[in-house]
Amino acid sequence: MATNTVVDVHNLEKTYGKANERQYKALKGLNFTVEAGEFVGIMGASGSGKTTLLNMLSTLDVPTKGDVVVNGHDVTKMRGNQLADFRAQEVGFIFQDFNLLESLTAEENIGLPLALKGTASRVMDQAIHEVAETLSIADLLSKYPSELSGGQKQRVAAARAIVHHPAILMGDEPTGALDSTSARELLDLMTTINEKQHMSVLLVTHDPFSASFCQRILFIKDGQIGSEIKRGDQDRSAFYQQILNELGTFNE
Amino acid sequence: MLGKLALAGIKHRRRDYLVLLVGLTMSAAIFYMFANLATNRAFIKANAVVSQASLIFGFGAALLILITVVYIMYANSFLLSMRQHDYGLFMMLGATRKRVGELVFLETLILGTLATAVGIVIGLLMSQFLVGFLLDMLGLHLAHLSAFYLPAIIATAVLYVGLFILASLFNLIRLTRTTVLKLLHTDEQANQPKNHPFRQAVSAILGIVLLAIGYWALAAIKALQVAAIPIALVTITIGTYLLFRATILVIIQGLRRTKWARKHLNGFLLGQLNFRVYNYTRMLTIVSLLFAMALGAITVGSGYHRQLPMMANSLGTYTIAVHDKTAQEQKLIDQLNVKHQATYTQKRHGKVVYYNAAELKQQPFELNKGTTEAKYQTHPKYYNESLKKFKQSGSQSLDFLSLAIRGEQGFFAPKIVSAQQFAKQPGKTVTVTTVRVKDMDQDKQVLKQLNKLELKRFAQPAEMTVGNYQSYELMSGFFGGLEFMGYFLGIAFLAMLASCLMFKILSGAPGDQRRYRMLYKVGVRHSLMRHGIAKEIGILFLIPGIMGVIDVLFGLQMFKPLMQSPMSPYLGIGSIFAIFIGLYAIYYVITLTLYWRIVLPKAPTD
Ligand SMILES: Nc1ncnc2c1ncn2[C@@H]1O[C@H](COP(=O)(O)OP(=O)(O)O)[C@@H](O)[C@H]1O
Ligand SMILES: [Mg+2]
Repeated sequence: MATNTVVDVHNLEKTYGKANERQYKALKGLNFTVEAGEFVGIMGASGSGKTTLLNMLSTLDVPTKGDVVVNGHDVTKMRGNQLADFRAQEVGFIFQDFNLLESLTAEENIGLPLALKGTASRVMDQAIHEVAETLSIADLLSKYPSELSGGQKQRVAAARAIVHHPAILMGDEPTGALDSTSARELLDLMTTINEKQHMSVLLVTHDPFSASFCQRILFIKDGQIGSEIKRGDQDRSAFYQQILNELGTFNE
Repeated sequence: MLGKLALAGIKHRRRDYLVLLVGLTMSAAIFYMFANLATNRAFIKANAVVSQASLIFGFGAALLILITVVYIMYANSFLLSMRQHDYGLFMMLGATRKRVGELVFLETLILGTLATAVGIVIGLLMSQFLVGFLLDMLGLHLAHLSAFYLPAIIATAVLYVGLFILASLFNLIRLTRTTVLKLLHTDEQANQPKNHPFRQAVSAILGIVLLAIGYWALAAIKALQVAAIPIALVTITIGTYLLFRATILVIIQGLRRTKWARKHLNGFLLGQLNFRVYNYTRMLTIVSLLFAMALGAITVGSGYHRQLPMMANSLGTYTIAVHDKTAQEQKLIDQLNVKHQATYTQKRHGKVVYYNAAELKQQPFELNKGTTEAKYQTHPKYYNESLKKFKQSGSQSLDFLSLAIRGEQGFFAPKIVSAQQFAKQPGKTVTVTTVRVKDMDQDKQVLKQLNKLELKRFAQPAEMTVGNYQSYELMSGFFGGLEFMGYFLGIAFLAMLASCLMFKILSGAPGDQRRYRMLYKVGVRHSLMRHGIAKEIGILFLIPGIMGVIDVLFGLQMFKPLMQSPMSPYLGIGSIFAIFIGLYAIYYVITLTLYWRIVLPKAPTD
């Protein structure tokens, strides 16, 4: 059982502000797990602590209290280079603002995680082209980010996030800056990645449509998990309806 | 309210402002020191020898003004790069353009005025101590050099405040002409330049042709005379620019295709350089040229000084001649590293000075072929003539004549007579001792004392020199001024050009902040980012450095006709280059440290 858990969050707390300053408790004892191959959504109103949570999981920030275990690594015990290496190897991240380096071509952007590992050039080529096929961006590889549309940029970012086969793919409102068509394409892609490559996906969103692509949704309220719903065998539109209903009761 | 906000923004980046302020202050201080030297009438009048070089000082001042203008331009763009995001925000929050414009204008002007005022004060202090120290090191004594000189203060203040008013206006126009959105997002642009093979090939060829013309002009200064300098300046600058612009993209893009580019952050480094170097072309060309000028100034200045003894030695046979030496003088002579020494007895009567033939036979008067034959000018060859021949030729040489000066009327006419005749000859008896030392530089201090004692007892017409030491002293007065200029301008130039480069690079830091933040998120180790930045900035420093060194190596050709072999403008340039590179490296380290501080993402702490 334990070997199948990719993310295990236990009593996670985060307080912003130093002891002598005004403090704000963003997370107040959070508990949840993500199993291998799961597609989990995290929903909540703006300011409910979603980004804060994701930052803890991806080691961009450190928790005040509690444990976070990702793919067997106790994230809270890591320091310095270990943290950087962990980010580079264990997690793939898609950001709302793409986070692409505009001085590099799409191909170079996608290859970055492999270059950091010191992967041989030939292996790298193969991996890049494989992932580019999967995400249908093979014809964009030689372009610079400034020559790409928002949807294309986000697909390149997704390719970079998964090219090195991380244990989990995380997205913080990855559709936030996209039009509805591009958003849908990206969500379909993430579903494909989840199903074909059996990669766990953790999607943070406040948008019910995006959330309807997930298998299980956790609702955050006031820094804690408020409730949880599962898609089960429902089709997406039925699940979408369920999410809307849940939000209705949840927000009261 | 807006004023308060602006002040808060400045406080937030006070360290960067401090760097800017220190840079501007130093520039103003250097300018004041130079203006003080170049314009101080009392000082120039009191130093007749140096006043011959006042033309050079004027030329130096013109160059210094030029680089000051360039310098302030870059400092200003650094200032703007720090502020434009804030200004954009103010406008988005509803501040009128006019209000923001006023703010920009005032901020620039206040900063500039402050820097000028502090700079002049520091310049005063430096004039007092540093200039004296530098002159002392060169063995020069310039009288009437006062640190406080009102016209110099006015000149510095007018130039700097004037330039800052221009800079403020420039910022005002720039900010009010760009859209708010652009101000907020300027950091995010990293335009990738495109290749244009045909255009690049043409510009590369044109560049090479221009460079060839420039270097040829320098080497052919004998034929072209003064025209060589402007020709070389224009052709080398444009040639370097064209060649650099045409080739750099090809090189970087070639490197990007290698396997090396696909390891660690190398690809990112090349990507950065690809857009940065291209945008920096103009800047790097200017910097390389200034670098060359600075290096050239020091090299030539010190080159002359180092070769002075050699030049002085070609002018005569003995280093110094002492008449009727006292015990004190004998003591000093004993301290010298004597290569050749002789003492002759003179009897001066009427317009004639009599010498004893027996004495001259026993210790013949040494002659130097260097004074008569060009071939030996730099390898002094000493020889003796038979007494018979000496009576006809050698005794009429200036060196021999100078042993008996008859005041303003010239020399006593020498007459060599037999020992018996000499004994009977009436007249005033004077003994004269000629000394030739091994190395004038080494015995400089003793020679100086000896010369002083000699001149005190035997007045000598002005402008007349006896012995190589006096020639040496006269020339070092003249060339020393040149050398001082060389060092002063060289160091000032280097300081300013390196800060130009520093400000230009630092102006790009806000944009890089975002990029390194991205790398941080993707999981790039801190050490890897540090090394990447060190390499990137290192290359930006290295390019103008290398181009400048090449320019100097060719540029020194210009001085070849003025220095005959084995004297050469290339003699001993190694140590000068080393000092220069050391100073340049310090700037690199400062820039790098600042860049790291601005750009590297801070790891979260609990
Ligand atoms: N660096 C920070 N310092 C102080 N408070 C913060 C910081 N980051 C986020 N917060 C606060 O924590 C709460 C949760 O923020 P966030 O995780 O960004 O919410 P979400 O992503 O769900 O919109 C918000 O109230 C926000 O103001
Ligand atoms: Mg958020």
